[in-house]
Amino acid sequence: MLTTSYLHAQASAELPPNIERLQSMQSTGVKTFTTVEQTGEYADGIKKALENVKMPDGFKIELYAVVPDARHIAVGPQGVVTFVGTRKDKVWAVTDRNKDRVADEVKDFAPSLTFTIPNAVCFSPDGFLYIAEQNRVLVFPAAEFFYESPDVAVGQVVKQGELIPVDEESFNHTARVCDVGPDGKLYISLGQPHNVTPPDRVQKYMDTGIGGIIRMNTDGTAREVIARGVRNSVGQDFDPATGDLWFTDNQVDGMGDDIPPGEINHMTASGLNFGHPWFGGGDVRTTEYKDETVPVEVTMPVSQTIAHAADLGMVFYTGKQFPEKYQGAIFSAQHGSWNRTTPVGAQIMVSTVDAEGKVTTEPFAVGWIDENGEYLGRPVDVANLRDGSILVSDDLAGALYRISYGE
Amino acid sequence: MSLGAILLAGAVAAEVVGDPEAGRNLAGQCRTCHGIDGFAKIPIAPHIGGEPAGYIAAQLTAFRDGVRTHEMMSVVAKSLSDQQIWDLAAWYGSHKATAEMTADAAGAPEVCVACHGDNGIGLAEDVPNLAGETNIYIDTQLKAFRSGKRTHEVMTPIASELTDAEIRSAADWYASVKVEIESSK
Repeated sequence: MLTTSYLHAQASAELPPNIERLQSMQSTGVKTFTTVEQTGEYADGIKKALENVKMPDGFKIELYAVVPDARHIAVGPQGVVTFVGTRKDKVWAVTDRNKDRVADEVKDFAPSLTFTIPNAVCFSPDGFLYIAEQNRVLVFPAAEFFYESPDVAVGQVVKQGELIPVDEESFNHTARVCDVGPDGKLYISLGQPHNVTPPDRVQKYMDTGIGGIIRMNTDGTAREVIARGVRNSVGQDFDPATGDLWFTDNQVDGMGDDIPPGEINHMTASGLNFGHPWFGGGDVRTTEYKDETVPVEVTMPVSQTIAHAADLGMVFYTGKQFPEKYQGAIFSAQHGSWNRTTPVGAQIMVSTVDAEGKVTTEPFAVGWIDENGEYLGRPVDVANLRDGSILVSDDLAGALYRISYGE
Repeated sequence: MSLGAILLAGAVAAEVVGDPEAGRNLAGQCRTCHGIDGFAKIPIAPHIGGEPAGYIAAQLTAFRDGVRTHEMMSVVAKSLSDQQIWDLAAWYGSHKATAEMTADAAGAPEVCVACHGDNGIGLAEDVPNLAGETNIYIDTQLKAFRSGKRTHEVMTPIASELTDAEIRSAADWYASVKVEIESSK
């Protein structure tokens, strides 16, 4: 599937981080991209799996691109290129050159740089690409222009080791998501690295924003913690109608197959606490803290979702192509459970808000779990394309799908 | 603990014999992440097919007893009996891992090769394979040995001397090797 150049692998291992060199507009000497084959047996296998996916009448799902380990999606504001993060060391640049709504080229972005869990990718409206890694945040001005070269323009928003204390680095709950808000600030989720936060970490996490969401100016200044008591949020978006931040949260494991529920949360003000570690999800108290008086005021989720289904990426639908019911609705991805007796999730959900503010969440695209309980795919994120269709990423199949209506 | 108790504990552990078939049934709860044959499905999980059974059993025991911690593994290992641990170890240990390396072996990280080989296939009974693991997994483990979050009589002193760049370089080396796991069934 991959055509990898050893020359490239060797160069990135030997060179120090190339950021300073790039900042002075010098060449790093790295010339080689890794490109991903878009046709053939592997792509055909994914297309076959998609035949199992069911959606409401009139909708269609197609393979948009083969993208290994595809996680969160950032569609370029100029419509030139879509960037896709991973939980490994690559950010993929996906280009549909002939605009036939299928990608023609997938290659790694900025191969002269060494990334660590570059899961979070997000754009500012003026085309600055932000990448939040495990413990660093980088910015790429005019990324849609520079991505054609191995050497790109880059700046550091948060230096290596300064996003979280180094002794809190882990692999699993350090897949970030980011967004540039209507206030122009950069919003980043910081998962806490435990199943349930141990008592000796609670205050430290409240102070640093681990197990929460932080925001900062896009130059990294004025950092503040704006949400606490979040276990591990891997999906967020701003409601274009109100400017409020909404986010999903993954809840506690090991309490049983059917509790606690997953969550979609609505942040109506800065500084709210969403209940972890006292609550395991919804109003279910964690075993570890069940006898403790909850010392904070807790904001409950606006939508409770299937236990352990792992709600990840979410987006407000801004297009006009889908029927009216879906306009302004939230599309979100359930990654699927990992240790539930019978797997659940692996589907795209849609949430609508009625006049009283009541949120209803229901399945929209299903069929990625087969009759043997095996995953055919695991959806991660959803993004708007400019034509009103949506993209879905899948990190098991390694793909982006495009869902359209009426085509 | 008296000497007698230590000997007894050792004797009991040695008497547990894993049954790969029973392990295969239990592995239903492992497969979403590690695959039914131990070829991992997600980057954060290591490939465990073809690892020495003793290594798998030691890690599951460490997760169960809280000596090694992880937000997912601590949850699933908590309720495992010694017998279940050895059954799982027998199942995942029954497969064969092979490595295909295209790079010149001379570039392999010197400090690692005596035990892990230049291609990341372990050369001793309690040594895990590193071939084809995600670089960030190896990086995370080396840093855990360095910081003391994870301990091992050989790995702790080795990792304590390594810089971040040396750790990432070793991780990149073994991650770049292609691993195949041939199922025993």
